[in-house]
Amino acid sequence: MNKELTNENKLIEDIKKTFPSSEVSIQREKRVIVKIKQDTVPPLLSYVKDYLDFNHLSHISCVDWIEQKKFELVFILWSYDQQIQIIAKTLINRDEPKFTTINKLWRQAETYEREIHEMYGVEFVGNDRMGDFLLEDWEDIPPMRRDFNTIQFVKENFNDRSAAREDSKNVRETIAKHSGEEIPEFAKKYSTRNIDE
Amino acid sequence: MLNDKYSQKIVDIIKNYTRKHSLWVVAYGTGCGAIELPPTMTSRYDAERFGIRGSATPRQADVLLITGYLSTKTLKRVIRTYEQMQAPKYVIGFGSCAINGGMYWDSYNTIKSLDQYLPVDVFISGCMPRPETVISGFIKLQEMITDGKANGAEKYKENLDWYRTNQKQVIKNWKMPDYNW
Amino acid sequence: MREKETTLYLGPQHPGITGNMMVKLKVAGDTIVKAETHVGYLHRAFEKLMEVRTWTQCFPIVCRICVPEPDPNEENLARAIEEIEGREVPERAQYIRVMVLELSRLAAYLLWMGGQSGSSGLYTMPQWTVGDRDYILDLFEELTGGRVYHMYIWTGGVRRDLPDGFEGRVLKTMDYLEERLKDYDKLMFESALFQKRAQGVGIIDKDKAIDWGVVGPPLRGCGIKHDVRIDEPYEIYDKLDFEVPTYEGGDVWARAMVRRQEFEQSISIIRQVIDKMPKGEYYNKIPNPLTWTIPPGEAFVKTESARGEYGYYAVSDGSDKPRRIHVRGPAYVHGVSLLENILVGANIADTSFIMNSLGVCPPEIER
Repeated sequence: MNKELTNENKLIEDIKKTFPSSEVSIQREKRVIVKIKQDTVPPLLSYVKDYLDFNHLSHISCVDWIEQKKFELVFILWSYDQQIQIIAKTLINRDEPKFTTINKLWRQAETYEREIHEMYGVEFVGNDRMGDFLLEDWEDIPPMRRDFNTIQFVKENFNDRSAAREDSKNVRETIAKHSGEEIPEFAKKYSTRNIDE
Repeated sequence: MLNDKYSQKIVDIIKNYTRKHSLWVVAYGTGCGAIELPPTMTSRYDAERFGIRGSATPRQADVLLITGYLSTKTLKRVIRTYEQMQAPKYVIGFGSCAINGGMYWDSYNTIKSLDQYLPVDVFISGCMPRPETVISGFIKLQEMITDGKANGAEKYKENLDWYRTNQKQVIKNWKMPDYNW
Repeated sequence: MREKETTLYLGPQHPGITGNMMVKLKVAGDTIVKAETHVGYLHRAFEKLMEVRTWTQCFPIVCRICVPEPDPNEENLARAIEEIEGREVPERAQYIRVMVLELSRLAAYLLWMGGQSGSSGLYTMPQWTVGDRDYILDLFEELTGGRVYHMYIWTGGVRRDLPDGFEGRVLKTMDYLEERLKDYDKLMFESALFQKRAQGVGIIDKDKAIDWGVVGPPLRGCGIKHDVRIDEPYEIYDKLDFEVPTYEGGDVWARAMVRRQEFEQSISIIRQVIDKMPKGEYYNKIPNPLTWTIPPGEAFVKTESARGEYGYYAVSDGSDKPRRIHVRGPAYVHGVSLLENILVGANIADTSFIMNSLGVCPPEIER
């Protein structure tokens, strides 16, 4: 269906004229994607907020592209008058990730930035509440990065169910010894603890 | 006079009868299973006819209901709540997440079996358990009290070292008072 | 004579808090001077788990993110995958999806009514509304198999067709709820005690509301008319005839009136859906789930749940597992930064009252 996307086209021309280094495209009706460099983000966000009425901050997110060694920060805004959603994306360095805060434009951005700092390790210059938010006393690398293996972490830190007895004996081996039987071969690899007897 | 076997048995029967017909539950919704507690306590599946009602503080409660999974941050507060309750006290584990980790078996923030950290008397299975299942779990606890087998509090006192080793493995910053009940 | 300031922990074990979170208050006498929220007691690492499971294995996990109202989550994930892949949904499936979403909205409003009146001392309302909510859960059990977590809405449609005679039972329940609404009015909404308690408490400024990120019934309670169902209609909401109510004032009373009027609108939407439902297919079959891959792309979709605007941002890189799914619930802004602003200057006894009226749901904040 070919609808007249007049609002979206006008928006694209406006952004391209004011910020010539950006790449703008229409994804579908009511969605416009803008790809910009790291330093252009605060001027672009304050321009669309003050002059074009994009005053609702929907979301701030972060994606880990470990193959290209970059983090991608995504800012999603909505305008109630023009009814268009802007998705603004920028790439930052993965080894020493730093960014300026947009706390001055929207106060609730502080919460999103606290979570991205805790889960990915990105440092937001100008935001004072960078501390524990969802995790408590976490000592490993930031957990949402792609090189954190969650299954291996669980195996190292949490005990298996088969070791849950207060007199610290293995159930299978105790019963086998008590009734004078042998443990079958396929079950031997699950007996991870020795009997203390 | 009251020290022979028959008087002791009569005292035990009266004691267990009064304890099992008035079980007060700590008002603490620790996980997802707490959404099936309002239907259990209100007018459709009325649990108050068994003597079960909510209590605001742990000092006045008998039963601690762990409804579902526990993250490590909540486990520290649950242990402190459990140690503030006075004997006789019972713990009921709800749902499959308390039994063996449930569907969060590979998550880095939830504990995998409740048995290692607190002494559990009754497990209720399901995801989530229906209100009728919850009430049948309480009836099983009442039968255990009549037989004299619901002794989680004594098990905790005797094996305190084993429980403490498991708890300190998961909770890194241990700044809690000693247990001396 | 200045009063001494003390610190109070309205902690995770408290009968008045909606869920499992902590609010650390600094009080002088009976008035709150500073508030700080601490969340993280229910963090299960959903987004990390979703990166390790395939696309179809994500559906049973996703409905456990929001405990009182799980259906908008499944709808959002299904629509995000359909948008990236370009898959069509048959019309009968869209009507059934709207009916399930509106039934879930009614159940969430009934639970809210119980919580709001219970935290102000009126304990008869929870006994009535939670008992009536069970009739809606009975309908869900007949349709999907589970009372609380449904796992019914899928990519390409819904999982099963409606059973025989289901529409008749739904209409009977709607008639019963309309009769009960008159009893709720007499007890709660028209009683002078509740009105005096709720008016003038927890006020949100009308000029600053959109800047602070307020969405849903709190925004409509300030007099601003915005709703995702009319701004960006999804499914078949553009073919239905309903109103979006607003109310002036910005306090707890205005939000309560907005929700009560939306209750009536939801009942009328369900009646229209049953009237107009066409016959046809209910599912657009996906290929073999063990080898199903999605082409690379991204999408941002949103729905209107009982608490506000619910958004999902999904990224796919061409394999059979998601690259990133980021969930944004409406309580993320209401429960952390908005609550810390509004509680300054209020009484201690009003904390639980205000939290219930903003719709703070901790499992949604920390997933």
